Amino acid sequence: MSSTIGLEPVLGRSDEMIVNMGPQHPATHGVLRVVIGLEGERITRAVPHIGYLHRNHEKIEESRTYFQVVPFTDRMDYVSGTQNELPVVLAVEDLAGIEVPERAKMIRTMFFELFRIASHLVWMGTAMLDLGAITPFLYTFWDREIILGIVERTAGARMLPNYYTFGGVRRDLHPHFFKDVAEFLDHLEKRMPDYEHLVLENPIVHARTVGVGVLSKERAVARGVSGPVLRASGVAYDVRKAFPYDAYPEVEFEIPTSDAGDTYARFWVRFQEIYQSVKILRQLLEKTPKTGPFKGRAPARLKISGERYRAVENSRGELGVYVVGDGGDKPYRIKHRGAAFSNLQVIPDLFIGAKFSDAIAILSSLDPVFGEIDR
Amino acid sequence: MSLLNEVWQAVKAIGTGMATVHKRVYEEAPTEFYPYVELDLPPVSVQSLALVENEDGTERCIVCLQCERACPSQVISIERHRNPEGKGFLIDRFDIDLVNCMYCSACVEACPVSSIVTIQDFELSTYDLHTLKADIDFLHEQARRSKKWYSPKLGVEIRTEDGRIEKAPPEMQPGGLAELLKPAAEEEES
Ligand code: SF4
Ligand code: SF4
Repeated sequence: MSSTIGLEPVLGRSDEMIVNMGPQHPATHGVLRVVIGLEGERITRAVPHIGYLHRNHEKIEESRTYFQVVPFTDRMDYVSGTQNELPVVLAVEDLAGIEVPERAKMIRTMFFELFRIASHLVWMGTAMLDLGAITPFLYTFWDREIILGIVERTAGARMLPNYYTFGGVRRDLHPHFFKDVAEFLDHLEKRMPDYEHLVLENPIVHARTVGVGVLSKERAVARGVSGPVLRASGVAYDVRKAFPYDAYPEVEFEIPTSDAGDTYARFWVRFQEIYQSVKILRQLLEKTPKTGPFKGRAPARLKISGERYRAVENSRGELGVYVVGDGGDKPYRIKHRGAAFSNLQVIPDLFIGAKFSDAIAILSSLDPVFGEIDR
Repeated sequence: MSLLNEVWQAVKAIGTGMATVHKRVYEEAPTEFYPYVELDLPPVSVQSLALVENEDGTERCIVCLQCERACPSQVISIERHRNPEGKGFLIDRFDIDLVNCMYCSACVEACPVSSIVTIQDFELSTYDLHTLKADIDFLHEQARRSKKWYSPKLGVEIRTEDGRIEKAPPEMQPGGLAELLKPAAEEEES
């Protein structure tokens, strides 16, 4: 019965049909496989299977020096680029006592928020694709393209830039960076009402998401979800506020939360986060000095002992890393805490009792990225 | 009544959608005509690797093996021997497996003489992966073909029409903002 691992048919329940959703299903955002028990259109059981994209990140990183670890982390959550590098960089900076100049912190934060917008735009497009609307997908990727262009001009690559490094960032900003970002923010603010018309105010989206897949506050906390999924269930937890890092203490922003906990609330929270990111970016464009140091002094060979957990709030939630150094130039142990992985744990809670077509909407509202889940 | 309401909602939604889409129809399409129109990539963009020779055709690389040590994917392999006349080493073999390279440019950062550089050429698509096991001739050829390249130590360099290698103007450099702003600041002081 290899096709139904974890979900054996129950004797005497001939009305239940067992279906494989994925790993090649286009709505599974990559390679998720959920074995689903169906009674008519209702889901009675659901068992997710992951690991189709497993690349053994943690073990490979333990056999590389600290400088070599950073480019690997990019490959986890490939939609949000530099955001993945930050936990490792922060943890190693703490352990090695590396000072980061203020300007470098601000540059890092600007890239962090640019990638949050890029990631949420990808989510918006693919979530609408799952619900059957193709047009928003074309528009959001068009706008994301502008962000990737800005990133490429400074960092050298579009999706996997390897830009952060211990003590700051790898190279200075492109001469037109400030102008480009300001122009993009103006452009995005003009676009956002369009997206609201097409997504949040659309009656079809309402019909398919309001009241669907309700995740209660208690259940969300018990399952350890974070990010927009947790905030849509009414918990105002955000690593950027709770354990501020880089330039976040210096900017003002709010944590949008919703008490509904349904799929629509998760959509809504992501929309508000884009507005907050725009707000943060505008403040940083004002505050960041045009010139100055972009990198502090970091030793060419890092020898580290001690252990450290550092977390950041990436587009999907709390992305953490636990680094243990044994005095050598390679980490003794690296453990990544993936936000999308933890958010995926609510699949049985939300799927069971829902209709099959709702499962697609619920999954897209969790916004999983399988590079990070399977690692 | 509720049916009428639903019909009205549907009509309104279709209207809003159509209006939103209509606004975009007249905007410039973002399509790239790539093979026909060459893309102008920023000079820091990492698309491929090359090994630069000096203007007189001698090797820039001093075979220090720093790039081999820095590579996270461990795809660079170099063999060398002592120079019989004079100091230093000579290259026996310099291979990069561009299939497994992840274009992180760690090697470029490690190189003390800016010999290995990143270039913007991405014409490496192939049906046969063996053609991407780059040897030293391949890497030299990549450098000869490119008009500009980047390395952190020397910044962006360009090859002029008559084959000389020069540093690119400040507006092409990353962090060129500092240099662009400098003359203005000095003028204010004087
Ligand atoms: S770009 Fe990175 S992966 Fe490729 S050869 Fe250089 S160091 Fe190795
Ligand atoms: S680091 Fe530069 S000089 Fe040293 S072996 Fe590599 S390419 Fe040659």
